[in-house]
Amino acid sequence: MAEVKVAEPKESIFTFGKAERKLVTDPLNDNNPITVQVLGICSALAVTTLLNKAIVMAIAVTFVTAFSNLFTSMLRTGIPKQVRMIVQLVIIATLVTIVELTLKAVNYPIYKELSVFIGLIITNCIVMGRLEAYAMANNPWKSFLDGIGNGLGYGIILIIVAAIRELFGKGSLLDFKIIGPTADYVLNTSEISWLGWYANNNLMVLFPSAMFVIGIVIWVHRAWNKKLVDIS
Amino acid sequence: MHNTNYIIRFVLIMTVIVAFVLSMMYTGLKSVHQTNEAVYNKKAILSAVAAQLGKNISKLSNAEVENIFNTQIEQKVLDMSGNELTPEQIKSATGGVASTADKIDMGKEMKKPEADRLLPLYIFKASDGKVYNIISVRGKGLWDEIWGNVALESDWKTIAGVSFDHKGETPGLGAEIKDNPTWVSQFTGKKIYADDGSFTSVRIIKSGAKDPVHEVDGISGATITANGVDEMLERGLKYYEPYIMKNKKS
Amino acid sequence: MGDLINIFIKSAFIENLALSYFLGMCSYLAVSKSVKTAFGLGLAVIFVLGITMPMNWIINTYLLSEGGLFGMDLTFLRFILFIAVIASMVQLVEMVVEKFSPELYSALGIFLPLITVNCAILGGSLFMVSKEYNFSQSVAFGLGGGFGWFLAIVAIAAIREKMKYSAVPAPLRGLGMAFLLTGLMGMAFMGLMGIDPAAFN
Repeated sequence: MAEVKVAEPKESIFTFGKAERKLVTDPLNDNNPITVQVLGICSALAVTTLLNKAIVMAIAVTFVTAFSNLFTSMLRTGIPKQVRMIVQLVIIATLVTIVELTLKAVNYPIYKELSVFIGLIITNCIVMGRLEAYAMANNPWKSFLDGIGNGLGYGIILIIVAAIRELFGKGSLLDFKIIGPTADYVLNTSEISWLGWYANNNLMVLFPSAMFVIGIVIWVHRAWNKKLVDIS
Repeated sequence: MHNTNYIIRFVLIMTVIVAFVLSMMYTGLKSVHQTNEAVYNKKAILSAVAAQLGKNISKLSNAEVENIFNTQIEQKVLDMSGNELTPEQIKSATGGVASTADKIDMGKEMKKPEADRLLPLYIFKASDGKVYNIISVRGKGLWDEIWGNVALESDWKTIAGVSFDHKGETPGLGAEIKDNPTWVSQFTGKKIYADDGSFTSVRIIKSGAKDPVHEVDGISGATITANGVDEMLERGLKYYEPYIMKNKKS
Repeated sequence: MGDLINIFIKSAFIENLALSYFLGMCSYLAVSKSVKTAFGLGLAVIFVLGITMPMNWIINTYLLSEGGLFGMDLTFLRFILFIAVIASMVQLVEMVVEKFSPELYSALGIFLPLITVNCAILGGSLFMVSKEYNFSQSVAFGLGGGFGWFLAIVAIAAIREKMKYSAVPAPLRGLGMAFLLTGLMGMAFMGLMGIDPAAFN
């Protein structure tokens, strides 16, 4: 549907020009929700021990930010000011419940591992923050793109952190053994592995390492993108 | 500014829409959820005999799991004095919830007085004709419940494999009981009875195992979880002792 | 009584909501620039956790579970009702405090609305459900969890105040350093895992 509309003149709401592209790409770098805006760190860090959990979480959060932005933006003139917060929370909570029910049906083991952290997407500050800062003031299509961008910006950091933690903590990526001795995988000795001398660093699986890795990611990010230094 | 009447209408309509959408989804997906949960539990049981099955349990499809359960596994439920229960007896003991071993909620059994607990037993016939007895144990770790399945060889003495799971142990420490295959594989080949026939269980030794037949190493940084596993195995295996005594061919 | 003390100690020190589950990190990092504001927010969190946890317990047990008022499994409404309870309790607390204790209100003031989206509050309630606590245990868990969060934020604020006088590399200044410090504090708190969780039984 979107492609057909793109061909139409400028006033169409489904345009995807420079401004719209910026909505999606900006949160990936200059305005990253985690490393720049410091939002949504809460629930995310506990799920970054394994890459597959982080990917599922990233998809779930992108879905919730995109559609909560879309629905809130569609309702923005109708939402009564006095109950605004509760209405927004109900929209978010509904979407999160949909995500939970779907995940439980599609991939039960991951649902089990993520447990309460799926529910905690509700209080992920990114979702609420984007509703307040963007969706309440912009049209649905732009809000939707903004939601996707922020979800992805969050997801990227999550995936980087999870990849580092899984590789050095478990010696594997997405359960495929990459480095370290293969003896760990008693039933899967056929898998190839490099650096046989490497012993898994258990600290990487423990919770403080998430903080260290993010701290270092922020350091690298700000050293590379100088204009972000001293933002907060 | 919107008036109160409008707010109430807005909130009511939204509540109705939201409740409708969610309840539709919930009822629609309920059967899928239940199958998934059942398969998840069955996979945990099969993990105890993963080496004998020769398959990567986590990659099995739902149908394959059901197939193994239907063709290679015989389910029994025992009471605390070692008697086998009929499906009717199981139904009355669980309030109509379960009639076979895999439907028994081990968490609920743990809350019953010790004498009333039900003990599931899965008899697995490997493709080479060997028979393994898989029993379920449950206990307390550092934070919360831990549970596991222990496969014993047909002599009821030697452990053929174990699998553990937990509700909320620390990743990298207590959670190693599930995540570290090397640690779990230590149990294979250990004996739960001494040569003179007295019950010894398998001990988890913090400072490193010395007796190669009855002891395994602990997990560094997770002493309390390891102690929980130790206690769970000792108590859980002992529950089955009356049945073992009746069935031993010696 | 013993198990209530255990739950309090466990949730405050060993299972610290901020340092071992990363809950409430947004406000934890945003409001920990000075000890004074951190103190206020910490108190507000104890207060709200202590109130919403038992409220949500009542809702979960008497409305949503199969043995409840409606006699059917309504757990799919759990998220919505929990967050609605939290949002409305926060507003109620705000109004009550404003009416009866203007001093406390001006001290907590701006932090109360922030708390609705503090993951520690919702997270606490969800953990309570998954741990199957009873009513008095959920009160102890709420207060203990709140106290642990309070300790964590006051401690990090104190460290960050001192950090101002240290020569930190420019890109690491502020947020990056706060993350590294939180990680180190988390490691320090791991030392408390040796506390025997059954000590007071």
